[in-house]
Amino acid sequence: MLSTREIKQRLRSITGIKQITRAMEMVAASRLKRVESRVLASRAYTDKMRQILSHLVSSSSLETVHPCFVERAHEVPVIKIILITADKGLCGAYNNNIIDKVEKFASEHADKTIKLVLIGKKGNLYFSKSGYSIEKYFPETVEKVGYSQVRALASQLIAGYEAGEFGQLYIFFTKFHTVMQSFPSQIQLLPVEKGAFETKEELRREYIFEPSADQIIEHLFPKYIETQLYQCILESLTSEHAARRVAMIAATENAGEMIEELTRTYNKARQETITKELLEVVSGAEALVQR
Amino acid sequence: MAKTFKFEIITPGKVVYSDSVQSVTAEGTEGSFGILADHAPLITEVQMSVLTVTDGKDDTVQFAIEGGFLEVMANNVVVLTDACLKEGEVDIEKARAEKDAAEKALLKAASIGEKEMARDALKRANTWLKLAKVH
Repeated sequence: MLSTREIKQRLRSITGIKQITRAMEMVAASRLKRVESRVLASRAYTDKMRQILSHLVSSSSLETVHPCFVERAHEVPVIKIILITADKGLCGAYNNNIIDKVEKFASEHADKTIKLVLIGKKGNLYFSKSGYSIEKYFPETVEKVGYSQVRALASQLIAGYEAGEFGQLYIFFTKFHTVMQSFPSQIQLLPVEKGAFETKEELRREYIFEPSADQIIEHLFPKYIETQLYQCILESLTSEHAARRVAMIAATENAGEMIEELTRTYNKARQETITKELLEVVSGAEALVQR
Repeated sequence: MAKTFKFEIITPGKVVYSDSVQSVTAEGTEGSFGILADHAPLITEVQMSVLTVTDGKDDTVQFAIEGGFLEVMANNVVVLTDACLKEGEVDIEKARAEKDAAEKALLKAASIGEKEMARDALKRANTWLKLAKVH
């Protein structure tokens, strides 16, 4: 059994840990609140953008097929993956879940070359050791990746696809649902699956396009990719803070339980020493009286 | 009162405006145009310009929008734009300063890209000033 001094030492360190996890929980909660309102606000924009694009694609006035809608997975056996992870750990299975998803995807597509674009330090740490080819890594924290960088990335990706550098582009991110629930997800960004976009026949309307459908798609499409990318980053960021908050709540609770248990053991041990000392004193006194 | 339709301005940051309105006037790539209720389905690009809305109570509201897209579908009109300022939100001092800076940048611009950026900035500042009704 531990001595009272050792128990006291452990108690002190666990109390310290509990304070830290509680503080981290509160930091995550405030960050979550900030980023959550942003993700919800920008969903309206992203959804509408997708809707307009789908109306454009289903209309019959397109004269040419935009190069980003052309399938070329068979010609170019290269898949590019954008992966968004966190920069820090201590957020439960958040990083592992999404990395596992990428690993699974990669093993299913072992016949293709996979190139990674990484946002987030944890993904870089993991994949730089596992022999994948990392094409680009954003060294800034996920929170600092701004719209201008996303814009540059989007135009690079579109140009790369048009030039035939890769045949498919996927993005792996964590979709935020509620604080307790978020889903590791993947979306195929390029080529755009036309089927997923076409509206039902009865909902189809003939639009007037100004200046022309082709010209609008030329301008709208890069915007669409940008907003999709940015939305995915926001979703992941929100999920990360939510996951961290949940993990820290659990850690604080566990620390509380351990403190309770250790306090009990400590009290018991203290009681025992007192009883032992009392016994020694009493038996010593009795021995003196008998003499 | 004229028939109304639903009108929204959406930016990545928030839904700036959402109400039933009587008419919307905006500037497209081919000149300015107006939309009333029961307009035919339309998708068009809008330029950086001042957009005028007449709402259900006959009040007019004006916005300075960055370029974007406008869709009309079954009496639902949506403008998607990067950023948008409402009447009265314009910081006139800042707009004037940006205008001066843009004019200087335009004179100094060496490459086509720089020139285009300066031109955009100038247009933005001018749109803000137009919205604030000062010059």
